[in-house]
Amino acid sequence: MTRRIVLVFAALLLIALGLGVYAWQLKRKVARDEELATQQQLAMAPPAAGPPTPVTLYVASDPDAALRRSKTSLVLPAERSERARAVLRALFGAYLQSSSPHPIGAGADVRDVYLLGENTAVVDTNSVFADKHPSGVLAEELTVASIVATLNANDNQIQRVKILVNGQERETLAGHADLQRFYLASNIGQVVKDLQ
Amino acid sequence: MSSRFPLFQHRARFLVAVMFTAAILLVAIFVHHPALQAQRSEASGLTVYSSQTSYSVSLLDINGQPYVGLVELLEPLGSVDARPDGKKYKVRFTAPGGHPEEAQFTAAKDKAKVRGENYKLTANFVLQNGRGYVPLASTANLLAKLLSTQTEFHPEGRRLFVGISPERFTLELHPGNPSRLLIGFASAVNPTIATEPGRVRLTFRREPVAAAGPDKTTYNDPLITGASFSEHDGVAELDVTGNAPLMANFADGGKTIIVTGAPAPPPPPPVAEHVPAPAVQAVPAQPPPVPRQPAPPRFLVLIDPAHGGGDIGAAITPSLAEKDLVLALARRVQRELGSRGIASGLLRTSDVAISLDQRAVSANAARPALYLALHAANTGRGVHVFTELLPAANASPQSFLPWDTAQAAFLDLSNVVAGSVAAELEARKLPNATLQAPLRPMNNIAAPAVAVEIAPPSGNVDDISGANYQEQIAQSIAAGIAAIRGKLPEVRP
Repeated sequence: MTRRIVLVFAALLLIALGLGVYAWQLKRKVARDEELATQQQLAMAPPAAGPPTPVTLYVASDPDAALRRSKTSLVLPAERSERARAVLRALFGAYLQSSSPHPIGAGADVRDVYLLGENTAVVDTNSVFADKHPSGVLAEELTVASIVATLNANDNQIQRVKILVNGQERETLAGHADLQRFYLASNIGQVVKDLQ
Repeated sequence: MSSRFPLFQHRARFLVAVMFTAAILLVAIFVHHPALQAQRSEASGLTVYSSQTSYSVSLLDINGQPYVGLVELLEPLGSVDARPDGKKYKVRFTAPGGHPEEAQFTAAKDKAKVRGENYKLTANFVLQNGRGYVPLASTANLLAKLLSTQTEFHPEGRRLFVGISPERFTLELHPGNPSRLLIGFASAVNPTIATEPGRVRLTFRREPVAAAGPDKTTYNDPLITGASFSEHDGVAELDVTGNAPLMANFADGGKTIIVTGAPAPPPPPPVAEHVPAPAVQAVPAQPPPVPRQPAPPRFLVLIDPAHGGGDIGAAITPSLAEKDLVLALARRVQRELGSRGIASGLLRTSDVAISLDQRAVSANAARPALYLALHAANTGRGVHVFTELLPAANASPQSFLPWDTAQAAFLDLSNVVAGSVAAELEARKLPNATLQAPLRPMNNIAAPAVAVEIAPPSGNVDDISGANYQEQIAQSIAAGIAAIRGKLPEVRP
């Protein structure tokens, strides 16, 4: 009788372990699928053609709490919102490098940029951007300021910027910076001066 | 289906049965895992009374026993440096003006070392997510040993007196018409008073009061029939019962509470059509009500230790969360402000979650002279003092303020505070910067407001929790506020 109980218990334990492994593999599969989806999204971006255009990026640096203006060249699409998106993706690209002094979560991306009227841009980021963003007043402010300042520097008609996460409004970026407001480029300009 | 595929059905049933049993087994494994057994006690906490302060500590139910977070217990009494080291948990406690004392605990063991001597807890020490917990029953002895002071624990009331004795109150019945029960205290008290027909209940949350005589007293009086004292869930209660409605009044600067009969309610107004209009105005039987004197303005600094509960804020190190670091810093700042004669309050005193809107509502309701938010991060270096990133508004602070931009009307004063705190940080040679930030809920605060975010002073992130570094920051903040106190208006509560 006791032997049978031990055998049944061992069998159940094995099944439990098996289910655990299965759940773990499912989780990995979901992660792989998400990664694949992101790559497919990248591949679906409209091809840009033409000569490289000089663009200005405001790149944040955590150790010295600074925003630095830097120049680079990109082949940009013709459409305004696509251009804005391409510029922001270049900014995110800088942050995603392993040597970045202002790292953001791996996989962070700009899903879309919508222009409302002439002067308002709505930046839709993916959920990884907010979920994996380092938490802190300064770190989050640097990110927000760099996005707004970069958009304004490359399209001076953009005066107001709103940041969404996965198409939704979120209370804060990672617990600190307000994402419910529209950021004014003129207001961020003062922050940029303070951070240079 | 069942007749066509009997084998399939048999196997399917067997598979379902096995999976169901496995699921139960899994649940059983999880439920019995010690790390998952801890649950925050719903209704009760421990109240600690000391000569410096009174505070509440939440209890954790582990294996059916109440436990207390060691850091939460010690922090209000002095400076605490606690860190896990494998299965060990090392605590270094320094009372204000005292020498550091050390204690060492081991996870799942009841043996510890306190001030170099062996010490036995009433149950095993629990180390969970980098935090150490001791059994509630051990707290009095442990504090007595670590602090070298006398302690008195009232287990039924969950009240712990550290370095002080309970203040005994006296009851004195003055028969008359109406009779009065005088409750005398050694110092001023401020209990919550609740009345119901034939009863007045005084609830003491922060006062270390206890009965001088028996817990229950009966009076042979036509109005006041008895008084009973009880302690439970960290509070003390005094119930006075009577044969008629009772009321309580403060006297002698809050050192005496007088319970007596409540005045009879005025008779219902007569129905107009049945009563002729009086020829002359009747003299009222009761004197006209005296208009309530508005409370005098006071200078209160409201400290908001950010995050709490499930919102841990930034993970400063794998074992140190922003929510814990800023609560410890908030208590240091409160002590430093107190030593400069500045009253202050904490928006949270334990590890509880408060939403951003709730923080703003509570802060605005408290009507502080200054709102101070505390944050911590492992990015950047030194101390950053923030004011809200809003365009300055011309609105008067007395006017109706939009919720999202309430802070705009106070930005000038907020900048004055930030500059003063930064100057004090500079004087102590602490790396610092003053910036504007789009920080919630600071934009909703209708009072001068600053946020301070501390980061490691050097490249080593562990230095952020150094006692000397935190003390220097707390002193800078308090000194900065004290320096411009005259520029900030006092506010009526």
